[in-house]
Amino acid sequence: MVLLNFTLTPEAASKIHDLLVCLGKFSDTVAIEARRERFTFTALNSSKSAYAALTLDAANFFTNYECIPSQGGLDGRFTCSISTKALLSVFKGRLYDPLGRDGAIDRCEVSVQDKPDQTECRFIVKMVCNQGVIKTYKLTYEAVEVMHALFDRNVAKNRWSMHSSALKEYIEYFGTKTEMLDIFAGEGDGRAVFKSYTEKISNGKEILKHPLVTAIAVNTSDFEDFNVQPGLHIIISVKDFKSIVVHADTLKVSLKAFYSQPTRPLQFSYGCNGLLCEFTLMTSGDYNASATQTPAPQVLTRETSRASAAPERLDNRNTRSFEMPPPADPASRLAAARRRQPGSRKPSSPKPAVVSDPDSLFVEEDSRWEPLDYNQEEETLGWDASVEHDNASFPTFRDSGSAVVARTDTEGSGGSGATNFEAIGPTQRVSQIKGLW
Amino acid sequence: MRFKASIQNINIFTKLTASLNSLGPLAWVKLSDDQVCFTIIPEQGTQVWAVLSIDTIFDTYTVQSAAGNVINLEVPLTSLTRALKSAQNATSAQIRLTKKDNVPLLALTIVTPSSSNSYAAFPPQGIDSEDCFDVPLNKAFGGGSRETIVTQEVPVRVLGPDTVAGLHEPQCREPDVHIILPPLLQLKSISDRFTKLALAGSKPVSGTTATRTRLELAANMHGCLKMSIKTDAMSISSVWTDLNNPELDPTQVAGGEIGLAEHPSTRMKQLGTADGRSDEGWASVLIDGRDWGKVMSVGRLGGRVIACFCHDHALILYVYLPNENGEDESVLTYYISSYSS
Repeated sequence: MVLLNFTLTPEAASKIHDLLVCLGKFSDTVAIEARRERFTFTALNSSKSAYAALTLDAANFFTNYECIPSQGGLDGRFTCSISTKALLSVFKGRLYDPLGRDGAIDRCEVSVQDKPDQTECRFIVKMVCNQGVIKTYKLTYEAVEVMHALFDRNVAKNRWSMHSSALKEYIEYFGTKTEMLDIFAGEGDGRAVFKSYTEKISNGKEILKHPLVTAIAVNTSDFEDFNVQPGLHIIISVKDFKSIVVHADTLKVSLKAFYSQPTRPLQFSYGCNGLLCEFTLMTSGDYNASATQTPAPQVLTRETSRASAAPERLDNRNTRSFEMPPPADPASRLAAARRRQPGSRKPSSPKPAVVSDPDSLFVEEDSRWEPLDYNQEEETLGWDASVEHDNASFPTFRDSGSAVVARTDTEGSGGSGATNFEAIGPTQRVSQIKGLW
Repeated sequence: MRFKASIQNINIFTKLTASLNSLGPLAWVKLSDDQVCFTIIPEQGTQVWAVLSIDTIFDTYTVQSAAGNVINLEVPLTSLTRALKSAQNATSAQIRLTKKDNVPLLALTIVTPSSSNSYAAFPPQGIDSEDCFDVPLNKAFGGGSRETIVTQEVPVRVLGPDTVAGLHEPQCREPDVHIILPPLLQLKSISDRFTKLALAGSKPVSGTTATRTRLELAANMHGCLKMSIKTDAMSISSVWTDLNNPELDPTQVAGGEIGLAEHPSTRMKQLGTADGRSDEGWASVLIDGRDWGKVMSVGRLGGRVIACFCHDHALILYVYLPNENGEDESVLTYYISSYSS
């Protein structure tokens, strides 16, 4: 008997649409966890290599939010899971339109009907449109226990952040159908390389079907912040990265990456205005790795894995993290630089953000020259198939031994300054699972 | 074997590969000292034989091989087009043949201006003065190159001289009618519409088999072009008039002046009228509507197109790419064979 009601502005509702589109690329269902002070969408992909948690802050994201879980007091929660497609057919695109055109809403009211005296349990969404039209959607949901992947940022010493628009530009260079993304920190050349490639090596005629290999060398000064151990390769799925960057770009925010070493999880984090998005992704081993860099297996505890992996690297990392940041250039130098090079290079104007097709590259003004696809039936009204749901073809990582995305040891993080430990708290008491060790 | 060139005209190169890609996934690319040839020979449908002068797309071009400085490659056009598209805003782009793990590659190295600081002025409607500030800021911090380098690797297959020896450009008899086509965008939108109507009309009858649409294209020596389509339910046609039939150059025709006098097109000139209403004097071909749609994709290059009609046999399109210095014209030749009526 949960009490859960909230109201969304059109802007917030359209953000829900955007995040559902993103989560839809990871999983067919999204899990919902409502607490008194926050509301979280989570998704875990079928290969359990990617976990997403998108948290909406009760005070900042909603116009009105009320959640009183049936049990558990202040820490209580209401959890359920709903089909992503069903939610997306309710939270359609263009809910927010300043011109009030077709599809725009005035507000969105959501409530959960979960009472024993009623025969049906439903997740009810009321779209209050202009001109007094109210569209009510009743969605079925499944009561599930929601699991969270924990990520310890204290261990993740390698960090960078970059504006999503720049990353969006980079992902557009990647060929379609590539599987892996190697993020490589250059050794002393001030560059980082994003490389998209596919592991499959084929021979003969097949070689021509091999996808493009794209490497983008970026100046580390183009990052807002770049603090990564030189020479470190970390490999994630290109598809996950694209989905995340495309979503971050809808918010026009910076994307922060946190990771320790290959085979340990990596986290991307971004957010604004009461929306916090965290994606925890499994990484795979060094690409072109040398023997010494082979990371320790995941079963080891943190201390031993550190010791066995590469002690000198650890030292290296520590000294790096204590390095003073370079002093900011004094304004006079800036002014001088400006005078020296008056308009030597035209500022590149930001590209129009027009890409409706996720696979298209740049603005395709040439489409009228493409041969017409006669199979497209413009007259027919069809199901909106904009959500990709081909999880079956999702590439699996080499390191598929463990389904656990992030470790769950909380003792260590408690000791070493828990200020950075922003992960959602454990849902199980340590004492309860002691018996496992 | 060495091939290296900087791409001088990324736009034309991209449009060329995109147009060729609509006809087939693979191109035979022949690089030699004085020209670059792209050939598409699909299993069925139209063949393209394109001959480009080096400077149409390349600059500082080097090609070296044991086989008389000729390199033959089989190139996947989708990947090449995609790679070229990432060079659209590039300050420079280079292409070279290389090998990695024993796999031959065409590697494109694309230098694009670093653009991260343009995001400082969000929302996108940045004021100019702010942008002016951003650039020197960039330079002050970067201290040197402020560029993003994109490398795209397109896997290719190197073809031996004996592999390509068996490939010959189609031979065709002298055309009955030659005519300069109207703007291709106009032609394409009408032919697409015709094909679509024919497909819609035929659908209820034969929904299972792949429906074929036969587009009839005809022209006379009096500046008329006719496009028509017939199904059981309908018959539509469009006629263009006042088009140009270019004069043949006697020096280019076999047999000189006599050859010209006996040329099929001279005979066709005696027949038909300039208003396109006469039934006489038409040379016509029957072609596949979908295939024609793919051919029309070449319109993006914006070249002059001369269509040569061999009645009931074939249609040959010569697409001349715009070129400043007149000589060494680059030309794409499309061989479209006619279906028997």
